Amino acid sequence: MDFATLETLRDKHPAWRLLVADHAAFVISFLHGSFIEAKARAWSQRELSLRLEDHLHALRERLGEGSLPRTAEAYLDDWAGALCGWLRKFYPPGSDEPHFDLTPAAERAIRWLAQLSERPFVGTESRLLTVFHLLKQMTEGTEQDPQARLAELERQKAELEAEIARVRAGQLEMMEESAIRERFQQMADTAHGLLADFRQLEHGFHELDRALRERIATWEGTRGELLETVFGEHDAISGSDEGRSFRAFWDFLMSPARQEELTRSLERVLAHPAVQALQPDPRLTRIHFDWLEAGEHTQRTVARLSSQLRRYLDEHVWLENRRIMQLLRGVEQHALAIRNHPPGAAFMELDEPAPSLELPVERPLFSPPVQARLTDTEVREASGEVPSEALFARMFIDKEQLREHVRDALRTREQVSLAELVREHPLEHGLAELVVYLSLAAENRRAAIDDSNTQDFFWTDARGCERRATLPLVLFLR
Amino acid sequence: MLVSLMKGVLYQEDDPVLWQTLLQQQGRVRDHVLVLGLQLMLDEAEGYACLRQRPMGGDEQELPRLVARRQLSYGVSLLLALLRKKLVDVDASGGSSRLVLRREDIHELVRLFQSDGTNEVRRVDRLDADIAKVVELGFLRKLRESDDTFEVRRILKAFVDAQWLDAFEQRLADYRAHLNEDHGGTA
Repeated sequence: MDFATLETLRDKHPAWRLLVADHAAFVISFLHGSFIEAKARAWSQRELSLRLEDHLHALRERLGEGSLPRTAEAYLDDWAGALCGWLRKFYPPGSDEPHFDLTPAAERAIRWLAQLSERPFVGTESRLLTVFHLLKQMTEGTEQDPQARLAELERQKAELEAEIARVRAGQLEMMEESAIRERFQQMADTAHGLLADFRQLEHGFHELDRALRERIATWEGTRGELLETVFGEHDAISGSDEGRSFRAFWDFLMSPARQEELTRSLERVLAHPAVQALQPDPRLTRIHFDWLEAGEHTQRTVARLSSQLRRYLDEHVWLENRRIMQLLRGVEQHALAIRNHPPGAAFMELDEPAPSLELPVERPLFSPPVQARLTDTEVREASGEVPSEALFARMFIDKEQLREHVRDALRTREQVSLAELVREHPLEHGLAELVVYLSLAAENRRAAIDDSNTQDFFWTDARGCERRATLPLVLFLR
Repeated sequence: MLVSLMKGVLYQEDDPVLWQTLLQQQGRVRDHVLVLGLQLMLDEAEGYACLRQRPMGGDEQELPRLVARRQLSYGVSLLLALLRKKLVDVDASGGSSRLVLRREDIHELVRLFQSDGTNEVRRVDRLDADIAKVVELGFLRKLRESDDTFEVRRILKAFVDAQWLDAFEQRLADYRAHLNEDHGGTA
């Protein structure tokens, strides 16, 4: 902890930067509420910015309108940026919306702050016992002499028998209240800490993955050597120290008997008057379910990373990647050299992603034009007054726009009927517009007018009258 | 099954049910398209499948092509190559398997290789047209969220492969030599 290290830490480490940020209280209260208290691992951008809007709104009411002037999205983007590093922004598989998760660094800073105000008293005994316990586990676990192990087991047996005899005789030793409180405090601390560890763990796996890939990408020797040095026999990620510890944890937690035991013990302990006096968080009874949930998340990450890494190391992919990088370097050099004289039109060819099918049946067949029947009528001189404003009030219908509607609709389908079109773009000019659509259909070789079927159209005209028109079925084809 | 393959690329994430069917009937699909001079490209790990023209053996009778070839302009070709590079980079740095780029990112990617002409607007317009073209080819996908974010679809790997890049490099080298002749070595 010399001066230089601390100086860089203060500049670079996201946790420290969070603590000294201008709006630290605002940022931390939000992150704490959204991620730690809610025990959430990922929020979609929409949900999280809604939450932030609420938070901002409440704060602005308290601090005045002008404070915290930026939008929720801008804040989130900032916090996920390289300068802050408090949120991780990522696209989960199968979703088009970016998601956010707290980074382990930010979580650490927040937990440290939480500890400042926690802890009604400091228990030393239980922690000393924990240290003892851990040491004992290690010495016993590494003892190779069978005689020594047997002796230890015998000693424990004698102790147990002595205790059984005492209980038989009616001497029950009860734990003191302060001892209970102390242990409970430690238990709750560890339990919550475990939840935080998952985030750290996942981060660790990501780091491990990145380091491995970097090594693979810059590897100069043969692939066989690479596999040997990087992997040995184990899967690099699930075989790492963290990976194995996590595996063991998971197996332990997954057994139904253990879960039941945990549930029962937690309920009993929380019901104890000494613990009740501490006003424990009632959600603690469900902590193992939270572990399961968070663990599953990590589990999925590990599985995904492992399989991606295997794929990346696949022989074919590996060789192809090297070749491709080589070629790309060449391409870039050439492209730089000719940047001021780029070649003209078509330069390369590429297969289409599917065979091109021209289905003859999809084309409209010839249909005889409808004969217009002309009837003789006598034309007489007009007698009534024609109001001249009718000439000016003629409405204008943009034929191009209607044509655009048709083209638009056909972009996603093979065919569209006039009724569908009108549903998507409601009639604005009533009958006149329908007529224009009809004329479009008549001009278009790829449109069909089917007299044997009809479709009804409804609209309300400018005077508020309900109108109805029955037209033959009109289909526009791609 | 065949029909949807004939219509375009099949992605696992788009239709998991159809994908399962394809995995089960892979052999039959392969046999079936073989006689049409096609082959099934199926990448189980990446989760995509499509039909491609099968290269003919020496003594086989040449079948007419069912898969059309697209002419690509220089700009689009270069963009494809650069996107392919980005994919390799992302694979090498781990993390997410999805490559999502914003429009500015793509502009940044290509800027170095464009002429320094003063007409910034024209440059941007042309690149946007190229991007639209790549979207149309199906290698970039607009994310529903916004207009300016694109996901680079991993099917790009199957099309812009070493062979294609090799041809691209060769052609660029030829062009460069040609330029040098014309301009007396100034290019």
